[in-house]
Amino acid sequence: MPTLISVFDLPGDVASAVRKLKNRGFDDLTTYSPAPFEEIELAEDVKPSSVRLFTLIGGLSGVFLGFLMQIWMSLEWPIKIAGKNFASIPPYWIIGFELTILFAGVFTLLGLLMMGGLYPRPLDKHYCQRFSAEEFGVVVRCAERDVAEVEALMRGESAKEVSLADA
Amino acid sequence: MAPPPPATAVVDTLRPTSVPRDSRINVDIMAHTKGVQWPYFLALGAAVFGVIQAVLVLAWQTYAGLGVAGYQAPVFWGVYIITFVFWIGIGHAGTLISAILFLFRAKWRNAVNRGAEAMTVFAVLTAALFPLIHIGRLWKFYFLLPYPNQRGLWVNFKSPLLWDVFAVNTYMLISIIFFYVGLIPDIAVARDRATGFKKIVYTILALGWQGTGRQWKAHNRTVLHLSGLATPLVLSVHSVVSWDFAMSIVPGWHATIFAPYFVAGAVFGGFAMVIVVLIPVRRIFGLEAYLTDYHFENMSRFILLTSLICGYAYGAEYFIAWYSAVEYEQTSFWLRAFGPYWFSAWCMILFNAVFPQLLWFKRLRTNLPFLFVLCFLINLGMWFERYVIIITSLSREYIPAAWGLYIPSAVELSVLAGSFCWFGMWFLLFLKIFPVIAIAEVKELAIHEKEHGGAH
Repeated sequence: MPTLISVFDLPGDVASAVRKLKNRGFDDLTTYSPAPFEEIELAEDVKPSSVRLFTLIGGLSGVFLGFLMQIWMSLEWPIKIAGKNFASIPPYWIIGFELTILFAGVFTLLGLLMMGGLYPRPLDKHYCQRFSAEEFGVVVRCAERDVAEVEALMRGESAKEVSLADA
Repeated sequence: MAPPPPATAVVDTLRPTSVPRDSRINVDIMAHTKGVQWPYFLALGAAVFGVIQAVLVLAWQTYAGLGVAGYQAPVFWGVYIITFVFWIGIGHAGTLISAILFLFRAKWRNAVNRGAEAMTVFAVLTAALFPLIHIGRLWKFYFLLPYPNQRGLWVNFKSPLLWDVFAVNTYMLISIIFFYVGLIPDIAVARDRATGFKKIVYTILALGWQGTGRQWKAHNRTVLHLSGLATPLVLSVHSVVSWDFAMSIVPGWHATIFAPYFVAGAVFGGFAMVIVVLIPVRRIFGLEAYLTDYHFENMSRFILLTSLICGYAYGAEYFIAWYSAVEYEQTSFWLRAFGPYWFSAWCMILFNAVFPQLLWFKRLRTNLPFLFVLCFLINLGMWFERYVIIITSLSREYIPAAWGLYIPSAVELSVLAGSFCWFGMWFLLFLKIFPVIAIAEVKELAIHEKEHGGAH
């Protein structure tokens, strides 16, 4: 399948190009950006990242396991301290809170690795080190009959270079 | 509109990709990871030497026992606990800059957050050593953890010391995760420009980062969530550390003000350490274009604010001791200022509450040599603050017959010096491997400026 690689200087142009590509049904695209830009993120996909679910599940697991651990261990080895119950809830909030944060943080990291596809692996064929400098890339895979249309669209959005790969 | 040309014609018109160019920001910020700078290697050598001497001294303490550490009745919490609290506090500024200022969208943090985050990680790694050093029998450290054992014995979850174990370890892990997540895009920058062994290492650490939309989306959300998690965490950690003291009934410790007082002090000392570290880094590695007077001035404002909070806390402590009409409290605070440890108490007041008031003057807030000296004194003052809190209270409890005098031993002072060298060693190694300024975040500002004009 032909692949068009376009290089841009500004994130606004990338966002505009992506929106137009999507409006015309060219959904098989990848953007490369040297820094985070909200406009590109919104142009590509307005849905929030699923990382939030990882954080939520981690946090709930942490608070549940934190209290469970403390209550179980306190009842397993009961020591009377300052007249408090063996399983005394108020002081357990502290470790419960810390474990909520810990589990939520670790799960958030897992979410990043899974949702971002982050693991040691070969880089994309069309990735270029210019995209970790100050330039932006948009890679579009399209049918051969659409190459001219995509190329025209990219140039119309101030792409400074457009090249064709895998023709 | 003319119909589009056929695809084959388009192929002919497309220009080949030009020779890769690098950005000025990449070149400038990565420069310190390359080459030989003699001041750097001299500093690294001194730090390694300091660590080695501390390890030898610790080996001697482990062999001879904690008696060589100057512990004697009634003072069994000394320099090691003071230094533990000091280093935990130092880490707080990094989290404040990374997380809290991120949530407030304070863009100026982009230039200083990486150095501060690194400082947080290394400060917490340093702090975490001290409870182990303090227990003397290092190999028994796992007693602090709730682990299944044949005696069916579990730890006491109602003890503030155990809360501390969980708080500090959580803080350490979350700080490391936060630091690493922020580094990933910059490691990819380094990977794309490295060769040989370095490229292999960076490739593994970059986890296939390419800055795709999908990756940035997940990354942005992750940083947002970690910031949201780290903000209450950082407030809880020094609160929990303060409860190591405040939950007891020792005069001078049993105060409800301790948690906010410790948190403010931690941020205060942490910012001072960021400035002490970043001023030489900026000078040695020529980063004046990125770490500007503006950044140091903003940090100075934080120092001024937190100094006022610390000064208020010092005053409130004295007022409540007097107003409570509890003679033990009154005696404790009288002895702080006029007892055998008067020197440390006045250092604390002068360095933390009085001298920082000079930062009301803009000219001084942007005078880097002055800031360096002031922040060095603030760090000294913050160490003395913990010395005052811990030693004056423990050495003068309720019964005068049980009073004593604590003098730090040479062993403790060697380990204290070693802790600064240990922190410095990690920071210096970090400087040679990773960029000290967050490249992607600086680019975000620079590209926005290019697109929209105006300054950030």
